[in-house]
Amino acid sequence: MKRFLLALFALAIAVPAQAQDKLVVSIWGGSWRDLVADTVAKKFTQETGVAVDFITGGTIDRLNKAKLAKDNPESDITFTTSHVGWLYVGSGLFEKLDMSKIPNAKNLVDEARFSPYHLGSWAYVYTIGYRPDLTKDISFSTWNDLWNPALKGKIAAPDFDPSHLIVVSAILSGGDAEHWQKGEEKLKALKPNFKAFYTDDANSQQLLASGETPVQDVLSMNAYYMIGQGVPITVTIPKEGGVLGVDSVSIMSGSKKTDLAYKFINALYDPGVQAAIAKQKKGSPVVLDAKLDPDIAKLPGVFTSAAQWKQQIIIDPKLRAEKLPEWRKWFAENIMN
Amino acid sequence: MPAIVKTQPFLRSFVAPAALCAFGFLAAMAAVLQYSVRSFIPGSLEPGGFTLENFVALMKPLYARVFIDTVWICFLTAFFTLVVGYPLAYALVRVQNKIAKSFILIIVVTPLFLGEVVRTYSWIIVLGNNGFINTVLLKLGVIAQPIQFMFTKFGVVIALVHVTMPVMVVMLAAALSHIDRNYQRAAESLGAGPIRAFMTVTLPLSMPGIIAGVTTAFAWTFSAFATPQLIGGGRVNMISNLVYQLGFASFDFPFAASLCVSGLALTLVILSLIRLAVRPLEKIGPH
Repeated sequence: MKRFLLALFALAIAVPAQAQDKLVVSIWGGSWRDLVADTVAKKFTQETGVAVDFITGGTIDRLNKAKLAKDNPESDITFTTSHVGWLYVGSGLFEKLDMSKIPNAKNLVDEARFSPYHLGSWAYVYTIGYRPDLTKDISFSTWNDLWNPALKGKIAAPDFDPSHLIVVSAILSGGDAEHWQKGEEKLKALKPNFKAFYTDDANSQQLLASGETPVQDVLSMNAYYMIGQGVPITVTIPKEGGVLGVDSVSIMSGSKKTDLAYKFINALYDPGVQAAIAKQKKGSPVVLDAKLDPDIAKLPGVFTSAAQWKQQIIIDPKLRAEKLPEWRKWFAENIMN
Repeated sequence: MPAIVKTQPFLRSFVAPAALCAFGFLAAMAAVLQYSVRSFIPGSLEPGGFTLENFVALMKPLYARVFIDTVWICFLTAFFTLVVGYPLAYALVRVQNKIAKSFILIIVVTPLFLGEVVRTYSWIIVLGNNGFINTVLLKLGVIAQPIQFMFTKFGVVIALVHVTMPVMVVMLAAALSHIDRNYQRAAESLGAGPIRAFMTVTLPLSMPGIIAGVTTAFAWTFSAFATPQLIGGGRVNMISNLVYQLGFASFDFPFAASLCVSGLALTLVILSLIRLAVRPLEKIGPH
């Protein structure tokens, strides 16, 4: 009995010790967690022998939890979208990065260097995705094609982030993200063509797969996922460019494992890991030395040269973080309701 | 402190957990109230100074329309849930056959075992343009074009009735099971047919259950989120959807909090009005 109790005691102190040895990564659930587990985490564990634990949740949930746990963070690494990253930065939740500890970041594209606190992890575009079997002869070569009257009641866009269409309308009206008001009337003219506004990735996929909304302002990765599932979707990049989105990676301020966290980020920028991310999720690598399969490299929304990055519509993440509430409110008041 | 607690001190240990929960709820409510009167600073998670601007911003016609839509959807849902739920509750209480009773119980209770999101996705499959209902009607030649159920109030109400039905049936069944069947037998022995006996005896006696069920269904629907979000597709919005759209998706927590406070106030006003309206009916019931 005494031995049993001693063994139990040893186990009780051993388990937390093991848990402490793990690097904790905060990320969205589902395929995003799997993406990092199968690529970066695998490489990191091979190199360091340290396992990776994940805590998952929505963008806002994780931001709130990080804010509540300030200086004693639950995670060592956080993945989020670049503009939300600025909210973390503004609240002092991210560690200032020492780039000398991330040698693989030497080939990081300029568009993925957001701030001294957060860097890009992979990229995608929000662009036009459509069902050619349901839209017949309608073609899409420019964002202006969304205004085609034949698309009345056929379009869906995300309800959580109207920034793509607001900036596109501004650009088509001679403005830009900062002077977005120039596109207000243009976007109001698109109202009859909207059928629905999707809540999340799953909702977007369901609306496209069922044909309820055969045309979408869609996340390129989602469209490729559905194509893989056999849904006949065409992804096209309009001549003005797709709206670039780059997710970010950071080390949490107060992390006790910053050395391991740097090794994790360095593993993320390994060319092989970036190529694996592009292959698994059909997203774009953020380093220019990733060797991609030709079939992946030719996909719209996957960029292999600095010039391709520059051709996209880029909304400054900091400006986006500041403007999003205003854009969101305007969109809800004038387009959705 | 109530006298019973003084005489029976052990009751304190029962009250303590409830008091702790109540304290937690009050603290959360105080935080929401506090946020509702703070200003929003774009690009920051911290609210600014005290202001009433969030409530002033709610005066726009858009918000009035969403508040009215919410009340209307709640009313329709409560009404149709009653219409669908009453026969089920009646059958559940009065059917003697055990297999039939179990079957009805399964129909009623099953929705409770599925999450709201799963139930709503099922309705998307049923109500979509290529969904079950439209496919059947198109194949039968009843319609030439699919009927638009999705992204309409009608579609949202159908799905909400399904979500709310178990609660209504359970409340109605409880009320119906307390009605002495001898009242109905007495009416029938005096010459009333089954319909008249039901309309003049059973239905009035079940009024307390109807009132409780309708009030609960109304309040339950008021906080609906996933169903109007997914079936409404951003075209049919209730207050909770507006809180999400304008508050949380853009991190404007103060404005989201002012919407919550206004929604809560509206719920209290409407439930008080319902209470006043049904007060005469509450006097009817088993004695």
